[in-house]
Amino acid sequence: MVKERKIVCRCEDLTEEEIVHAIEEGYSDLESLKRYTGATTGACQGKGCLMHVVRILSQKTGKSPDEIGITTQRPPVNPVPLYILSEGDVE
Amino acid sequence: MKVGVVGAGVMGLSTAYFLSKSGIDVTVFEQKYLLYGASGRNSGGVSPMVDREELIPFALESLRLYDTLPSEVNFNFLFRKNGYIKLASDEGDAEKIREGVSVLRRFGISSKVISPEEVKEIIPDFNPDSAVLASYCREGGVIFPWPVVWGLARGCRENGVEIRTEARVEKIERNGSRFTVHVNGEKYEFDFVVNSAGAWSNEVSRMVGIEQNNMIIKEEVCVTESIKPYINPYIYDITSGLYVTQTARGEIIGGITGKSVDRIDTSSTVEFAVRYAKGVTRMIPKLKGLAMLRQWAGVYDEGRDGLPVVGFTEIDGFVQANGLGKHRGMMIAPALGKELAKLIERGENSAIKKFDPQRF
Repeated sequence: MVKERKIVCRCEDLTEEEIVHAIEEGYSDLESLKRYTGATTGACQGKGCLMHVVRILSQKTGKSPDEIGITTQRPPVNPVPLYILSEGDVE
Repeated sequence: MKVGVVGAGVMGLSTAYFLSKSGIDVTVFEQKYLLYGASGRNSGGVSPMVDREELIPFALESLRLYDTLPSEVNFNFLFRKNGYIKLASDEGDAEKIREGVSVLRRFGISSKVISPEEVKEIIPDFNPDSAVLASYCREGGVIFPWPVVWGLARGCRENGVEIRTEARVEKIERNGSRFTVHVNGEKYEFDFVVNSAGAWSNEVSRMVGIEQNNMIIKEEVCVTESIKPYINPYIYDITSGLYVTQTARGEIIGGITGKSVDRIDTSSTVEFAVRYAKGVTRMIPKLKGLAMLRQWAGVYDEGRDGLPVVGFTEIDGFVQANGLGKHRGMMIAPALGKELAKLIERGENSAIKKFDPQRF
């Protein structure tokens, strides 16, 4: 039988089961969970997966999404090729 | 004996780990979550090619510990041992490169001065015009700082250490021969308090009336999208301060050596992104098509004379474990933590006398 695989994070190829496992291992705050699993650190930088991760964390820990919060949002908003950045001006 | 450690970075956790291995009761306080500080924000370059001779034995011992600790704590540190290259892009720094290699030779470490063309043999897309001279050491490479911290934390917990996160130390009171540490409205009693708070160490010292004045340095780092293994060694240009390598996950990670700041600041800047992009695409032009995914900043500290601040202070029982400095926290912390644990256990340890906080 094919094992049911719910993909939560497509960039890093993470299943719901893997997120749950990490929470059970003790990585049960969002910033630790992000680093341990790699969720939200791929090409989409969390745009596709952050809310799923928050939902799973909320279900597992009983904390509200407000208590869990979101990960630190870091620039750039979208990936920017280095050849474009290198055209910028600096003093 | 009870020891309280302030700061769960690689220095604090190494100290806690080696203390707990000797059966000492340790509690570690982390103001936020594991990896919040510099141990979670650096690029993981490790090498015996450390810029101060006094630190070479600690870099060597740390490399040895990075080999043995993973099986001890049952955690893979994802250590890629593909060597470390230092570049100089002006003549003055080329002389430093030559000196660095002869110092390493005295320690019996094999390393060599190489030309930019020889760098190109190691990294095929390297632009030889971007440097005048280089040095190469096969030992060392890139370690992933996150599993180092998680692994040390696991080892600590196995030994009975309590690691409290979201636990910012608010006050430290001297209470006879002991300390009372106030955290989240609770009080803890310790015989020793270890200050391994990195960039926050000055603030922790102030709680017991010590004006430490470690330099605080802000540094910015970024990653690109992941590609297949492409850059093997860690590369650090000592003239421009730019460094770059590839992580075990395939991202190209790099940054520029930071500058001293007056206060803690972890904001990201466009100036850094532009400066880095210019520098790294000059060094390895093919990278220009890769996209930067994420940039961040971190803060760390350095002793006023450029050396770590590790050992006993004028306040009996208050111990410094900070000031590790530029490009070397990950390189030297495990060995420093091990030696500091010995100092706390035995009351003396000549191996770390050079880092005595009372030298200033």
